[in-house]
Amino acid sequence: MEHDLDLVKRCLGGQNPAWEELLRIHARKVYSVCYRFTGRGSEAEDLTQEIFIKVFQTLETYDAAQGTFSTWLNRVARNHLVDHYRRTRKDRVTSSLEDELGHLEEKPSAGAGPVARVEARERKEMLQAALDKLSPDMREAVILRDFQDLDYEEIAQVLGVPEGTVKSRINRGRLELARLLKRMDS
Amino acid sequence: MTHLELENLVSEYLEGQLDVTRRLEFEAHVGTCPGCRELLVGVRQVIEYCREAEDPELAPWLVAKILLATIGERQPTLFERLAGFLRPGLQARVVYGVAMTVFSASIIINAAGINLRQFTLADLNPRTWVHRADRTGHLLYARAEKFYYDLRVVYEIESRLRQLHQQSGQESQGSSDQPGQPSKPDSAPGGSTDKKLPDDLQLARLAGVADSLPGLEGPSPDSVHGKRGTLQ
Repeated sequence: MEHDLDLVKRCLGGQNPAWEELLRIHARKVYSVCYRFTGRGSEAEDLTQEIFIKVFQTLETYDAAQGTFSTWLNRVARNHLVDHYRRTRKDRVTSSLEDELGHLEEKPSAGAGPVARVEARERKEMLQAALDKLSPDMREAVILRDFQDLDYEEIAQVLGVPEGTVKSRINRGRLELARLLKRMDS
Repeated sequence: MTHLELENLVSEYLEGQLDVTRRLEFEAHVGTCPGCRELLVGVRQVIEYCREAEDPELAPWLVAKILLATIGERQPTLFERLAGFLRPGLQARVVYGVAMTVFSASIIINAAGINLRQFTLADLNPRTWVHRADRTGHLLYARAEKFYYDLRVVYEIESRLRQLHQQSGQESQGSSDQPGQPSKPDSAPGGSTDKKLPDDLQLARLAGVADSLPGLEGPSPDSVHGKRGTLQ
């Protein structure tokens, strides 16, 4: 956390290596959020680049008193994802659950047998497909809690809603995912 | 507890955030309701799957692309530019060659007596180099010679040899002065040229030569007559 603050100060001082290091530390997490939210690798890459360009341009607006850099970054990423979702909602074709399968971005778990690896891959694909079916509010809450492991307070800061609302969204998101996965299994 | 209430508390139960009373109620309902039990298992599985899922791999070119879009093409630092310029010259053979050149030049400059702080055009004349190198060589030789002879062990050995030489010279001179014994042949007819013999021995030698010549007065008549009688 203090390391991030020090890097931000150096970035604002014009030190490009500090920006490069900041990028290398946080790029993968932001890409993961974008990928979980969109379900598409190429789209997630474009969104990641746009998010970091926005972060670079608005870095001086970051206030350490209001939270960690990671929280601020997640907020910028989330806002950009929501804007993107609203912009592209009309272009998005409503597809069935089976059409959303086939995201092969993730590596199969090492050390497991071939059957287990196939099952794991199928499970990941189904999970992502089910995630795509959630509403954006529940989806972002579940991603931040169960994929990024943020606590409720931090998620509340990122989403700009009370903690109670965060808990409610996460719970409903999980219930919906459970029902969707059960349907896919059957 | 109703089904709806249980649904609303599933996440809190799984994360251990329910108080004791609510937790007991929850577990009691789950124990009696297969549907809610299945729901609980399903939600637990979702949490496990989500947390087991690894972050997707980031394309390696994406970071470079973002850097290009933000700070532009990365300009090499001054150190990197210098390192790139010096890199071909940092090979071992080049470094060795340069070092030997500098070493050789310093030897030549030192031998030629060139003072770089007071450099003049005359210092570039090869005759000057030869002259100075010759002078330096002689100086070095003289110093070495002085150093050698100043060594205590050398001094001791030389003085000892000198003493032995003197003793042997005295002994041979003493044996040659006794009568009936052949005298030691002198290197010159006028007498001995050994300057290291004491003066009294030299006088004695000269007296012996004088007595052998006629018309010369000796110190005592008896010795003279005896010798004269011998001579006649």
